[in-house]
Amino acid sequence: MFSNFDFSVIPPSLPYIWQGLVFSFRLTVTAMLGGIIIGTLLALARLSGGKALGFAAKTYVDLMRSVPLLMMILWFFLLAPFFMKITPETSALITFTLFQAAFYSEIMRAGIQSIPRGQINAGFAIGMSYWQTMGNVVLPQAFRNMVPVLLTQTFILFQDTSLVYAIGATDLLKAADNTGKLYGRTVEMYIFVSLIYFAICFSLSMFVKYMNKRIAIIR
Amino acid sequence: MIQIQNVSKWYGSFQVLTDCTTQVSKGEVVVVCGPSGSGKSTLIKCVNGLEPIEKGSIIVNGTKVNDPATDLPKLRSHVGMVFQHFELFPHMSIIQNLAIGQVKVLGRSQDEAHERGMKLLDRVGIKMHANKYPGELSGGQQQRVAIARALSMDPICMLFDEPTSALDPEMITEVLDVMVELAQEGMTMMVVTHEMGFARKVAHRVIFMDHGQIVEDAPKEEFFGKPHSDRAQQFLSKILNH
Repeated sequence: MFSNFDFSVIPPSLPYIWQGLVFSFRLTVTAMLGGIIIGTLLALARLSGGKALGFAAKTYVDLMRSVPLLMMILWFFLLAPFFMKITPETSALITFTLFQAAFYSEIMRAGIQSIPRGQINAGFAIGMSYWQTMGNVVLPQAFRNMVPVLLTQTFILFQDTSLVYAIGATDLLKAADNTGKLYGRTVEMYIFVSLIYFAICFSLSMFVKYMNKRIAIIR
Repeated sequence: MIQIQNVSKWYGSFQVLTDCTTQVSKGEVVVVCGPSGSGKSTLIKCVNGLEPIEKGSIIVNGTKVNDPATDLPKLRSHVGMVFQHFELFPHMSIIQNLAIGQVKVLGRSQDEAHERGMKLLDRVGIKMHANKYPGELSGGQQQRVAIARALSMDPICMLFDEPTSALDPEMITEVLDVMVELAQEGMTMMVVTHEMGFARKVAHRVIFMDHGQIVEDAPKEEFFGKPHSDRAQQFLSKILNH
């Protein structure tokens, strides 16, 4: 069945696909870093005991997690132009960061709660403030405990970046789609990008295994 | 140094401490004992404000602990505390454990903090393990590090919350030795423990608690000679006759 395939379209389209891949990476890294930072703050807000703050954070997280990512991408792209001029790429960056923050916040909340109360008391007992204890004692341990889950979430995120196809942002999939249509060889290009997605995710997961061994806390 | 006046505390509707009054003077070593669930750990955690109290007052070195205006971190920075489960920071090396409070709270330089930390590690006999992580040390060694960490903040008094209860019997001695030495140097200490040998050796006073109340508060000789209350007599006869 492969006799009709023509993979010779791949080399000339590489530079364009590369650009798409770079955007996919940019989207993943931005959403991961932004998501972890905002997510950690959301988690702290929920655990702070402050009623209004905790409620606001919980509402945000619940709302984000109850709507499919694709809907969020579309809605934001359709509504944002009423408030600002925005490219599909910027729209995707913002949506992904806000959406991922909700998921990372749940991971961080579990991570923070996994740290025994005694550790917090120990931080307090040597005179650290709440924020010093969080920053030096709780969060570093919570992050280490949560690395496998945080990275798994990041794989899902990387794979989900292909959804920006819907709003025409040029990511890896869209770039492949465009060139495929240009040459009339869509199937070949889809096979090619699938292999790229696989190669990247597989090597990342190997890297995660290695990292887990290195940063695990000796107990 | 530490004044505890008519302190009561509730967890919901359950009263954990009832009208506790006692004090620890400068240079005094006070041992708090009693059956489990009697509130002794809760009481000692109230002293540095880790547990809030509902009634009464606690004054440490002239500062009222249960006053909302009190700068608790500042107060705690010079009240050392040692926990039952050591609570060393597992993601930091031993020397970092000793340096972090000095650097972040007291504002010392890294070099200064490390130098002071190494001196204290030497004193508790852990100097050679300075760059290891807490998980690589035995329980007794970890607890000695925890004592050194508390001392690194130059505390004016030390609180010990069952420091030997989580240790294997053979490691208890190495921790008690460090504590005895501290007591003999004149450190003000409040110690929750079942180690009556330690109490006999260095305590000035012994407090016996039961059901959240201070049942007996007497000089050591009197406490071990002839406790006033039946409950304390029972307790002593049970833990001493082996």
